[in-house]
Amino acid sequence: MESSERPKFTNEEFDAVLNYLVSPSKRLYPNLIVPQSAGRVGVVPREEIIMTTVAESCPFRACMSFVVGGALGGFIGLFNSSIAPTQAAVQMNTRETLRDMRQTIGSNAKQFATIGFMFAGVECCIESYRAKSDWKNSVYAGGVTGAMLGYRAGIKAAGFGAAGFAAFSYAIDYFMHTSSLFNPQN
Amino acid sequence: MAMPQLDENKMKLVQELEIEMMTDMYARLTNACHKKCIPPKYREAELQKGEAVCIDRCVAKYLEVHERIGQKLTELSMKDQEFQARAAGSMPGTS
Repeated sequence: MESSERPKFTNEEFDAVLNYLVSPSKRLYPNLIVPQSAGRVGVVPREEIIMTTVAESCPFRACMSFVVGGALGGFIGLFNSSIAPTQAAVQMNTRETLRDMRQTIGSNAKQFATIGFMFAGVECCIESYRAKSDWKNSVYAGGVTGAMLGYRAGIKAAGFGAAGFAAFSYAIDYFMHTSSLFNPQN
Repeated sequence: MAMPQLDENKMKLVQELEIEMMTDMYARLTNACHKKCIPPKYREAELQKGEAVCIDRCVAKYLEVHERIGQKLTELSMKDQEFQARAAGSMPGTS
């Protein structure tokens, strides 16, 4: 538009236009055009948003960690039952051995599952609260989980448990982010 | 606020202005929230939970600030309109 054709606004028109542009009334934009200056943008369909929200939510992550922790505990219980059976004096027959295996696997799986559930749940809550993603989330979560685990044996045990678990989770976090096994260099 | 009744040229200008305003606000919003929420060194391309939460909060806060300031501006412009109307009404010969 050349400057000679540019329309001039009267004062009242200018005020009306200003109020229209700046006022915070909620107008619905049926044909939303998102500016694509910074790259391709698309309007995400509602189902996909719901699915991603649920998959990233804290309870879901805690439950996934529960399941994975249970599986890991099952494996460890399997090893434990074979290398350290509960009754070593007399050789157990097959039925007793299987029962003993089931018990060991079950108890180990339950322990690991609860530890994983607590750790993942606490870490997710701390991360949501802080709104940051760094190593401190896992350290704090390890501290809280260790304290909860050791609380039964007194305050001092809770303190040691917290410190130990926090250090352990920092080490695991460091390993996960530095090792080339989990971070393939493309 | 309803659309003011203007002729075609002016309406086109107002709509161009509105698009430009929205684009500018979107660009500033993206820049500000990216600077605040995403640390300069990151290890993954995926958005992590903490960063996603931060961006949600940043956008909500930005839009609310935008809304409040728009309200203040409309109030001020209303007061200014009234003052001008009163001044023009009380001094009809000098405006």
